[in-house]
Amino acid sequence: MMKQFKTILSFELANYFKNKIFLGTTLFLVILIVGVMFFPRISAGFEEEEGAGEGDSLIMLVIPAAGMDEEAVQRTFAETFPNYQIQTTLLQQEELKNQIVSGEAECAFVLESPTAYTYYVDNLSMYDSNTNKANEALQKLYRMEAMVENGISPETAGEILSAEIEYHTESLGKDQGENFFYTYIMLFALYMVIILYGQMVATNVATEKSSRAMELLITSAKPESMMFGKVIASCLAGFIQLTVVFGTAYLCFNLNKDYLDSSGMISSLFNMPLSLLVYMLIFFILGFLIYAFLFGAVGSTASKVEDINTSSMPLTLLFVIAFIVVMSSMTGGNVDTPLMQAFSYIPFTSSIAMFARITMSTVPFYQVALSIVILIGSVCVIGVISARIYRVGVLLYGTPPKMTAILRGLMKSSTSGIQQK
Amino acid sequence: MKMKLELKGIQKSFGEKKVLQDISFSAEGGRAFGLLGRNGAGKTTTIRILMGVFPPDAGDVLLEGRPLNVNQIGMGYLPEERGLYPKKKILDQLIYFAQLKGMNRQAAKRSVEGWLERLGMIEYRDKKLDTLSKGNQQKIQLITALAHNPQIIILDEPFSGLDPVNAMLLKEVVKEEIAKGKILLFSSHQMNYIEEFCDSIAILNQGSIVLQGNLNHLKRNYTRDRLVVSSENKEKIVKDWGSCCTCSENGELIIHLTSPQEKQKVMRQLTENYDIDGIRVFEPSLNDIFVEYTGGLDDEAV
Repeated sequence: MMKQFKTILSFELANYFKNKIFLGTTLFLVILIVGVMFFPRISAGFEEEEGAGEGDSLIMLVIPAAGMDEEAVQRTFAETFPNYQIQTTLLQQEELKNQIVSGEAECAFVLESPTAYTYYVDNLSMYDSNTNKANEALQKLYRMEAMVENGISPETAGEILSAEIEYHTESLGKDQGENFFYTYIMLFALYMVIILYGQMVATNVATEKSSRAMELLITSAKPESMMFGKVIASCLAGFIQLTVVFGTAYLCFNLNKDYLDSSGMISSLFNMPLSLLVYMLIFFILGFLIYAFLFGAVGSTASKVEDINTSSMPLTLLFVIAFIVVMSSMTGGNVDTPLMQAFSYIPFTSSIAMFARITMSTVPFYQVALSIVILIGSVCVIGVISARIYRVGVLLYGTPPKMTAILRGLMKSSTSGIQQK
Repeated sequence: MKMKLELKGIQKSFGEKKVLQDISFSAEGGRAFGLLGRNGAGKTTTIRILMGVFPPDAGDVLLEGRPLNVNQIGMGYLPEERGLYPKKKILDQLIYFAQLKGMNRQAAKRSVEGWLERLGMIEYRDKKLDTLSKGNQQKIQLITALAHNPQIIILDEPFSGLDPVNAMLLKEVVKEEIAKGKILLFSSHQMNYIEEFCDSIAILNQGSIVLQGNLNHLKRNYTRDRLVVSSENKEKIVKDWGSCCTCSENGELIIHLTSPQEKQKVMRQLTENYDIDGIRVFEPSLNDIFVEYTGGLDDEAV
């Protein structure tokens, strides 16, 4: 049986590596990651080149309100918007609009009073934060002037206004902000891999069934060997694929560290503590196995490859719901809700729920251990049950059997399985 | 020493439906055994029980009197529903199947290449299976049943889809395997092949064995109450003997007797009264026996 299992495992694994789609997606992901990771470096290179031809930076028009110190306004805006060329003018509204529409000027601030203005821009970008910056600048200007009027020297006023508060945060538990990103990435990777590989296992089984290779396979190998061989091969293939993809990302990250470090998110991913990486591996593998076994069992009940989408729907839905619950508690900032606590022990959801809790909160070790023990037990039980479903399922052709029929067959085969031994 | 494979009192039900009832037969090494039956009679279920795909509800499968251990004794199977991996290289998948049967990689490769050579398929070793014609795919499938040198070989409709030249080749191979002392179980609807190879047969009908034994004995024991007459003036005989006469498939005149004891008397009457070229007692073909034991049950047939 062990020998059969090894034969099946290596055959199935070799199939993944000969599969053009598998190779194609891996290559695509690697190229994509290299592209993304090198992009800041490459674009920085371009910017430097562009930097030489300075002078044609965007023009921002500012029309001060009556009674305002034009020079002070000019200076304040120039400080606030270093990327713009600030021009204070006294243009009429129509003319100003024309200039913006024609592209001569990028945008304009028309100050109606020291504390009110209208912002003109051609297309308002989603990420346009100019008004926020202008608010701050004008507020500062207004306060400054008010202080000066009240007899405080401009220098003192400047100091008062630019005083900054120094602070430190020490998180005694987990820093959710820092962990959020990589937890998100890891859960998403787990989600993608389980759905993709689950479907692959199901398709693989259904193809063998529809091509009738199954007739020979079931008489050549034990269903347990077949099921475990296939599922563990897919697990290894998925793991190797992820290792290649994340390995590439890690390599690229180290090559481009200087250009990427500005966004703390990416570096948080690669500076993940080792203990979390180990947890991730454990939950990843166990969660993957549970679903892969179930997908394999579903595949064995389908007669045609086309049936798989409908037959695997409940399973996919189950996982999607688990994923949504975990994701929404993560974004909600509380991963220790009663629902999440329950999910941490249910084998179908614990791989992602418990992992999210470990990274985003502080979970006592015994709870983690309990969750892992339940998962391991479930993997074994579900593996054996799936193999039984497989044995019954592969011999049934025609319309996919109802769940009740499968369960009846299962009961029968489990008793007869004992007889067999 | 000849191996002996026995099935004793095998019962199997799927849900409410009784598929096999009290199936018992035995097959010997160096002989071919024919398992016959109409579609849905229970042949495939019997074979699957034999191969340990699922256990019987009752009864035993014995080899040399001991419960058959499928993992220890090599079994080769050519299923009626043919199918391998259409998109995989022929050599790769043949080696895989031989390995599943317990061979190591090198031995599997040697054996598979030997068989590819033997069946004239060696040039296709690196081709994908679905590029081959149906007959050639069948030869490839045959290799999966033989490559691991099994002691028990089960061939389900091995000749269907083969051209006469390939059928000849397969016959040779089958005879060689029988000569090696292996147990060969044959299932087919092509009775001529069964008659050619099999010493013993069992006919299954609706999950029960309705007839079994040595093929020659079965034919001999068949009620000898029919005469086959060849004559130039059949019309005259038919006119005189009326309702006793029928015509066989190949145009021979058959006279049905009221009892086998009348044989001598009727023969004398015929030779005395008509111009007769020859008379013999009708010996049924396997086909006749099969139809007699399994026909006429169409309404109930599953």
